[in-house]
Amino acid sequence: MRPAAATVALGLALAVGTPTAWALTRPEAAAGPSLDRALSAPAVPSPPPAGAGDLPPVTVRDASPVAVPASPPPVRIELPGQAITAPVDLVGVAADGQMELPEDVDRIGWYRFGPAPGGPGNAVLAGHVDDREQGAGALFPLREVSPGAEIVITDATGQGTRWRVVSRELVHKQALPLGEIFAREGPPRLVVVTCGGPFLPEYRSYRDNVVVVAEPVADATP
Amino acid sequence: MYSTRTLGRTAGVLGAAGALVLVATPALADNHTATVSVLHAVPDTPVDVYANGERLIDDFQPGTLTDPLQLPAGSYDLAVFPADAADASGEPLLSAMDVAVPAGANATVVAHLTEAGEPALTPFVNDTSAVPAGQARVTVRHTAAAPAVDVRAGGQVVIDGLTNPNEETLTVPAGTVTADVVVAGTDTVAIGPADLTLVEGTTTVVYAWGSADAGYELAVQAIAGQQSAPAGVPGGTAGLADDSGLPLPVGAAALAGVALAAAGAVRLARSSR
Repeated sequence: MRPAAATVALGLALAVGTPTAWALTRPEAAAGPSLDRALSAPAVPSPPPAGAGDLPPVTVRDASPVAVPASPPPVRIELPGQAITAPVDLVGVAADGQMELPEDVDRIGWYRFGPAPGGPGNAVLAGHVDDREQGAGALFPLREVSPGAEIVITDATGQGTRWRVVSRELVHKQALPLGEIFAREGPPRLVVVTCGGPFLPEYRSYRDNVVVVAEPVADATP
Repeated sequence: MYSTRTLGRTAGVLGAAGALVLVATPALADNHTATVSVLHAVPDTPVDVYANGERLIDDFQPGTLTDPLQLPAGSYDLAVFPADAADASGEPLLSAMDVAVPAGANATVVAHLTEAGEPALTPFVNDTSAVPAGQARVTVRHTAAAPAVDVRAGGQVVIDGLTNPNEETLTVPAGTVTADVVVAGTDTVAIGPADLTLVEGTTTVVYAWGSADAGYELAVQAIAGQQSAPAGVPGGTAGLADDSGLPLPVGAAALAGVALAAAGAVRLARSSR
């Protein structure tokens, strides 16, 4: 009778303890401050209301057509802590209205209509987490990146800039704050996006996006 | 040179345009101010621009554009004098009384020539509604002393039969286009070709201005901030990163635990019988 009771206890401990221990030790779905907080822009003080009699100072400029100078695009992203190194392609908008991504899961797309890394606003880089034929993508380990991790972006001129991860969050795709993620104003940030969360076979898609937000490291040369 | 009839007509144009401004529903409305830019598109005539008797722009050169001004909403008396005249003295070249500038509006006031070559002030309302991700808006305004024109992009007519002082707006994929302006219905190039950078999420306003004597040119005004975010970010089709459910070893260990507990319970039940 005694060994039988011990077997029951051991069995229950195993049945309950193993998943509990797994759940307690697995990496958190999110790390660092919430995405909303990480992407919130500091409040801009509004200018004092002008009286009806005051006219503002006027600046004028030549209106002839000129080429708009473009800042050099990013060509490589590295996350040394996760052994991620991937070439970066310029991407736009796909036919379905979503951000376009490189077909090759080893390459990352930079949303070329938004800011370049270092400009005001968010530079958005994204890649496939995996593909049924190609397997795991370059950003597969993104879901394990922790706040404080370093990201290095190299632009087309060979100039490197260093960034520090401030947050990682798993966000339901339907609830993704697209306006905030693709913001073109505010402090310079890097937003790296891939897929994650449960896989939904009927849609051949993941339910969530993994969103990592990084801020520039003050001394910007690696 | 400028008859009272011209001034009267100008004031009439402004009155009509004031109504236009009122009709426009601002997308990004501040409660107290309007956004107004001024373009000088009368050839060969530097001017000073006065608003409510106060000098707003000094020595304003043809072909130049002010940066957007945040003006308190209200009504303005506008007057345009030759730049070399003593301050606000003599006859203005152009004037308009009680021009309504409603809160939240975004407008460009253009000093230009009519088709017949007489100076006029025309306020245009700028469309600042959102454009879809990946797209750019381009507005073409005919403000030159010239008859109807066609606008071509990459050799194809994209706007036909545009007359002074009218405008036409297109939403196109962002990028650089090579555009020219031809006499309507012909291949006779009046202006260009010029490369125009149509920035995504931006309204690019292109003005055809000038006269046969002074030559015809393009002026460009870019109004940023109409971008839309993409509809989402795709990214994965294999399920390798799936994190729902228990990993196999954990599940197996838990199942083994259940089996063990069940076996123990059966033995317990038997021995207690």
